[in-house]
Amino acid sequence: VSELFVALTPANLLACFVGTVLGTIVGVLPGLGPAGAMALVLPLTIKLGPTAGLIMLAGIYYGAMYGGSTTSILVNVPGEAASVVTTIDGYRLARKGRAGAALAIAAIASFFAGTVSVIALQVAAPLVARAALAFGPAEYFAFALLGLLLLANLTGGSRAKSLAMVLVGVMLSTVGMDPLGGTVRFTFDLAGAQGGLSFVAVTTGLFGVAEVLASMTEPAAATPVARVKFRELYPSREELRRSFPPMLRGTVLGFLVGLVPGPAATIASFVSYGIEKKVSRYRRELGTGAIEGVAGPEAANNAAAGGGMIPLLSLGLPFTPSTAVLLSGMLLMGVTPGPFLLRDHPGVFWGVIGSFYVGNVMLLLLNLPLVGVFARVATIPPRYLMPGVLVLCAVAAYSDNNNVFDVWVMIAAGIAGWAMRALDFSPAPLVLGLVLGPVLERSLLQALTIARGEIGGLWASGPAAVMLAAALGALVAPGLTALLRRTATQRA
Amino acid sequence: VSRDRWSAAGLALLAIVYLVIARRYPLDTLATPGPGVMPLIAGVALFATAISIFIVAITARPARDAGGLSETGAAPTRPIESSRALSSPLVLAAALVLYAALLPRLGFIASSFALVVLGSRLMGARGWWRPVALALGVTVAAHLLFARWLGVPLP
Repeated sequence: VSELFVALTPANLLACFVGTVLGTIVGVLPGLGPAGAMALVLPLTIKLGPTAGLIMLAGIYYGAMYGGSTTSILVNVPGEAASVVTTIDGYRLARKGRAGAALAIAAIASFFAGTVSVIALQVAAPLVARAALAFGPAEYFAFALLGLLLLANLTGGSRAKSLAMVLVGVMLSTVGMDPLGGTVRFTFDLAGAQGGLSFVAVTTGLFGVAEVLASMTEPAAATPVARVKFRELYPSREELRRSFPPMLRGTVLGFLVGLVPGPAATIASFVSYGIEKKVSRYRRELGTGAIEGVAGPEAANNAAAGGGMIPLLSLGLPFTPSTAVLLSGMLLMGVTPGPFLLRDHPGVFWGVIGSFYVGNVMLLLLNLPLVGVFARVATIPPRYLMPGVLVLCAVAAYSDNNNVFDVWVMIAAGIAGWAMRALDFSPAPLVLGLVLGPVLERSLLQALTIARGEIGGLWASGPAAVMLAAALGALVAPGLTALLRRTATQRA
Repeated sequence: VSRDRWSAAGLALLAIVYLVIARRYPLDTLATPGPGVMPLIAGVALFATAISIFIVAITARPARDAGGLSETGAAPTRPIESSRALSSPLVLAAALVLYAALLPRLGFIASSFALVVLGSRLMGARGWWRPVALALGVTVAAHLLFARWLGVPLP
């Protein structure tokens, strides 16, 4: 475990610092989310090498979770999806003059949950990886399928629309060389498409360019940001005491939700708020500016970010857009996440985990004193910020293969993503379909070959059968319950 | 919800076009599945999903669309009110297409400069001073960081 200290070399500490600062800024800015930002800096991180590069990417991922809460509390504008709930009580606390305390509690809850979930990750990931060594193609197929279907159920909004986006992603993933035979598909004789559509180009388009286009139709929010003095950051003893139980509940809950595919951090924060409304001793005060409404959800979303790393690090399967970008970063750096990561690249594995500890401490130290500075960033008018984002998107897409074709892909994805938003389609399932499509295809074809064409070979093993049954349930159950509910209301 | 009908029809059309092109790739046998298998599954599944979205869209009662929390948290979509609200993103989208076309001819610095100036004007920046200064700063910084330091061979 001495490899944990890899994170403490000066270069890696610097990478962690830059990553957490960038992540906090991204979290503070509404619009650009962690996945888009991580895709933007991919070219930069590749230059840094696997360990430092991944540490920087992970820093952005964690930093965004911290930063998102700052504007929720101060301006009532959530910086990203996982801190939407924090606006409910956080902003009301700020109106009561307890902004400093709410920010401090949010930072402390994030730190606590982040650290606990990293400890759990450190223990669980190698165990899962060891279990996954027994996974064959049939199990991988079943797991990836289950993940995508759960994702479609949990993304929010229309289930069928999410599923459609997953499928469009899978379809886009079939562009280029097929994973087994090497047949070139759907390229229309475009040389740039032979290697498949660039994941970086699609992600920067869907999460970067599309955000810029969408921001143009939204009225600019010109809310003055309250100044928070350093002295006001101390929460009272009463507030600290009341925060601890929700923090603990949020951490456990968030970590467990993080293991499930889907926008785990967002769901975890909503569920945590719901639980506090039921069990908290101060549940009556929730909604009027109760500190529990900040402590619980903020702990939950950070713990979920840690839990979400387990399927990525131990199985090589990402289930959130951010971890999908991490995966593509790893692949670009020649590191294949999955059961063999720990054996083949122990330095990378432990270095990244070590950086989570360091990153959490850095974020706490950064966020408490600099909270006012970060809140200022949120007030930069989009007309000065967004054009720069466009150029960065173009550079990131281009540098993936040093190819203008990828810039075209990015622009197409951006315009499509803007239209998708207008029509209530979420881009996240599409990105995950794109990433997991080749996994699905390769494992399905391999499993069929191994079983000599017997379709039953797909569910011959116990784990595969259980996962496929669960996948079927995920596909059918929501429709059934909706049908039952409809007949029930018709009868009533 | 009438928008859902159109998007479902669009998705169904996409699935059909995709399936027609996918017929070029052989399915082979179940024991030695070919490159056409996955596209067939994905295309048929998308078609079925599009049909189900369409059916929901034509049977849904208007009351059921109201309310509901957007859990994805992506910027809540508002109906696009006026043609004016739509025009500036469309102009920017066109500018982006032009940008990709000009990138190999004018090079990174010149085309990005133009994009930033135009973009910030479209987003409501007034005057020319600030957009030009911003564009100069962004393109030179990006050039130094990526082309010089990171060695990305920008056009």
